[in-house]
Amino acid sequence: MSTAAVAVPTNSVGISNLPNQRYKIVNEKGDHFTIMVCGESGLGKTTFINTLFQTTLKHQEPRRNNGPIKKTIDIDITRAVLEEKNFKLRVNVIDTPGFGDNVNNNKSWQRIIDFIDDQHDSYMRQEQQPFRKIKFDLRVHAVLYFIKPTGHGLKPLDIETMKKISTRANLIPVIAKTDTLTQQELSTFKLRIRQVIETQEIRIFTPPIDESILSNGSATEDNSAAIEHARQLIESMPFAIVGSEERFTNDKGVQVIARKYPWGLVEIENDSHCDFRKLRSLLLRTNLLDLILSTEEVHYEAYRALRLGNSNEENKDSSIPINTPARKLLSSNPHFKEEENALKKYFTEQVKAEEQRFRQWEQNIVNERVRLNNDLEDIQSKVKKLEEQVKNLQLKKR
Amino acid sequence: MNRDSAMPANLLRRKKDTKRGITYTMLLCGRDGVGKTTFANNLLESNIFSHKYNVVNQITAENESKVKVISPTKVVSYNSKNGIPTFMSELDPSRAQFEPGITITSTSVEIGDLADETANEDDIILFNLVNTYGIGENLDDSLCFDELTTYLEQQFDLVLAEETRIKRNPRFEDTRVHIILYFIEPTGHGLRELDVELMKRLSRYSNVLPIISKADSFGKEELAQFKKTIMKDVELYNVPIYKFEVDPEDDDLETIEENQTLASLQPFSIICSDVKDKNGSYVRSYPWGDINITTDNISDLKVLKNVLFGSHLQEFKDTTQNLLYENYRAEKLSTVTSPHIGASGKDNTANRASAAPSLSNFASLVNTGQFKSSQTLAMNLEGARTPELKEPYDNDQASPIKKMSQALKEENEEIIKNIKMESPLINDHNIPEKTKLRNISETVPYVLRHERIIARQQKLEELEAQSAKELQKRIQDLEKKAHNLKLREKLLRQQKDHSSSSSSLTTASSGTQLKKEDTLTDLASIASGRN
Ligand SMILES: Nc1nc2c(ncn2[C@@H]2O[C@H](COP(=O)(O)OP(=O)(O)OP(=O)(O)O)[C@@H](O)[C@H]2O)c(=O)[nH]1
Ligand SMILES: Nc1nc2c(ncn2[C@@H]2O[C@H](COP(=O)(O)OP(=O)(O)OP(=O)(O)O)[C@@H](O)[C@H]2O)c(=O)[nH]1
Ligand SMILES: [Mg+2]
Ligand SMILES: [Mg+2]
Repeated sequence: MSTAAVAVPTNSVGISNLPNQRYKIVNEKGDHFTIMVCGESGLGKTTFINTLFQTTLKHQEPRRNNGPIKKTIDIDITRAVLEEKNFKLRVNVIDTPGFGDNVNNNKSWQRIIDFIDDQHDSYMRQEQQPFRKIKFDLRVHAVLYFIKPTGHGLKPLDIETMKKISTRANLIPVIAKTDTLTQQELSTFKLRIRQVIETQEIRIFTPPIDESILSNGSATEDNSAAIEHARQLIESMPFAIVGSEERFTNDKGVQVIARKYPWGLVEIENDSHCDFRKLRSLLLRTNLLDLILSTEEVHYEAYRALRLGNSNEENKDSSIPINTPARKLLSSNPHFKEEENALKKYFTEQVKAEEQRFRQWEQNIVNERVRLNNDLEDIQSKVKKLEEQVKNLQLKKR
Repeated sequence: MNRDSAMPANLLRRKKDTKRGITYTMLLCGRDGVGKTTFANNLLESNIFSHKYNVVNQITAENESKVKVISPTKVVSYNSKNGIPTFMSELDPSRAQFEPGITITSTSVEIGDLADETANEDDIILFNLVNTYGIGENLDDSLCFDELTTYLEQQFDLVLAEETRIKRNPRFEDTRVHIILYFIEPTGHGLRELDVELMKRLSRYSNVLPIISKADSFGKEELAQFKKTIMKDVELYNVPIYKFEVDPEDDDLETIEENQTLASLQPFSIICSDVKDKNGSYVRSYPWGDINITTDNISDLKVLKNVLFGSHLQEFKDTTQNLLYENYRAEKLSTVTSPHIGASGKDNTANRASAAPSLSNFASLVNTGQFKSSQTLAMNLEGARTPELKEPYDNDQASPIKKMSQALKEENEEIIKNIKMESPLINDHNIPEKTKLRNISETVPYVLRHERIIARQQKLEELEAQSAKELQKRIQDLEKKAHNLKLREKLLRQQKDHSSSSSSLTTASSGTQLKKEDTLTDLASIASGRN
């Protein structure tokens, strides 16, 4: 566990500009905030944390070993304090080891899930004490899930892990190492990820938009600006991020945190290069309170209900055994020429017949599949129809 | 890796006419989205291969291109837990949680000498490009491992069968893989367990050349650092990759220099793109600048191409055919010749730890049923067993097939049994080695083919059962959903009726009432009831 020393504001994140009322609530709600990063290994999670600290909170001492970042092998908590004007926020950032390195990655999310649950659990225990003084609260308010920049889509492990997290904490998917995706690739990739998230019903954190303000006609300039900002945030999800620990001078002669390549300088805090600023704003400014409150009201409550209801949910994983029987070899050695020939001929014929049969069989499987798929489509369209009818009825009812 | 002494590789190397009509097979292996398809397009300077979820019917090898597609991409091997292939399909978000298994495809093209611009039209290579899909996308990738090694082993078996045939097939195609390019993801950290295991396994059947893809993830120093880390891990975990070694006694000065340079570059790092800018050069364009991928000092792509199609083509073929294949062949035949050697040979087969068909299938076939008399055959019996045929879901369509294959098997056994009974010599340990060997080598092709058939049958049966199960599950899910929807609809209707007359208090009770009377899951009735 490393502790970053108390920080001096480097550049203003704007936390002190929060509307007065909200600011007060944040202060009352324990004035601390916990972020966790997770995802496949080597996607830049540790780097991102360092970037966040460098752009927001000044480390008094630079990272100890000045070599390249090593693989993270343990859950690691960094604490820091964000101070602006009179506002003070304690920030905990939890780094986790990346997963997906192994041949078998079943349940590789277990450690992360356990950690989140443990924090809920420890909070609950403290709350149950006669003197409810909370000393230790590491309940995770936001989990950043790093997606590998393949340009293709989400894979089963991503989906499973995200589903697991989303029922326990606020999930914010981010695309890692965006500096390897062209703009075309990035927009296709974002679209596909959104499609999968929506269809798979993965609950990700989205900045709430208070529509009532608009329809009430009570929209002030401030309000509608906030709504516009929330819209922009939602549109750019999943956030495309780039991480770096180094500073370079850009073409305007300004020192910026960036990644330097022979073909150009990727500026982290440049909105036309990546969404880092948007993400930081969501985390530490505009939606800080939403994240804290929903953790408290939704996720923690759900955990409590589950624990107190004593209903232990267990997932049975069906794993198919791989059969690799140890085989022993024997030999057979037909002796008589005639029989041998007969046998060979027979064999050849059988081979032909079998191959023919296999082809037929394969065809049958394909046909059957097509038929079943058609059936499924039929059913699906019927379900859709039903859904529409239900919707209509609901509308009528109002 | 040692060069086979019988084959002076450097003599053959660079000699143009030896390349004419040469067959050359390359396999691309690596995790999802690592850039295999893009590289394949760059390698052939074309747009033959389409990307995942992006199915285009193209084959647009340009006119001036030296590449001609002979046999378009076809699936040569496939396996998956749920039996439903996803290869080359559009993105279906509702099925994204299913593991795709593994698909191996092969594409055959005819190419002029890509490495040499001055080459004339006679220098034609029949190039098979084998690509893999799905590695790293499954929760458990061991299935991919088995399928891949089985595939490689089968290509060896095919050659072995062909070699031992009495009458050669003039149109036989040698599909042994000569070089495997293993794509390493630009993680910035070392090799992963998956990489180490996979490369180790593959190196039994071919030359494995690790390459770093998407090298544009790294700045200059980072890349140098990453290369070092990878080579350190290769040593640490003893991964038998192809190394550019020099033999001071055998090689000429030029070769030594060349190989030393290549060795110092290893692992090659590449930046690929199959998108052209308006000047017709392949680029990756970012908001902060463009990369022209043919620019020399940015990646090792050009060097790699030269190695693959020029300087080391023959060497890759030689090591595969003369060293790896010969080892495999010796191992396989020795297990056939003597049951005693077979016992030790068994370790080798077990080492391979693959589900590949082996001679034991044939043996077990002989040994099933009542017949247990022969010592020769009964030796080492324990462990040999018939491949388990899984019940392919209670589907009546499948059972006649099963019966048929059972009958077939029994017939085979019968014949073999008869032969054995009538030939006392076969049980005699004293038959001259020569005859024994001849007989064996002549039987091998049949044995091998039989094994393949059995393996394939087994796989088909499994796939069938799995896909049936999967579809069944999905149907059930949908039915449930439809059922729930129907309930909700009824509820809403009632609410609507009630709300005009009475209070909403009745909602809860009417809900439970409904559930009691309405337990049907039959979709047809739901649907028809609706319409
Ligand atoms: N191109 C690029 N490289 C990055 C970025 N962020 C980090 N890296 C590099 O990626 C490598 C791995 O970064 P880490 O931060 O250690 O990754 P990690 O996710 O913490 O890895 P594990 O601890 O193994 O899970 C390092 O070499 C970084 O320099 C990025 O945004 N773009
Ligand atoms: N930054 C960068 N991106 C690349 C490079 N090569 C390919 N890509 C991009 O990476 C993405 C995936 O590349 P593919 O070639 O489709 O990857 P693949 O290995 O065939 O993926 P699967 O078929 O899913 O296994 C595409 O968007 C490519 O444009 C490269 O050298 N650098
Ligand atoms: Mg890390
Ligand atoms: Mg591909």
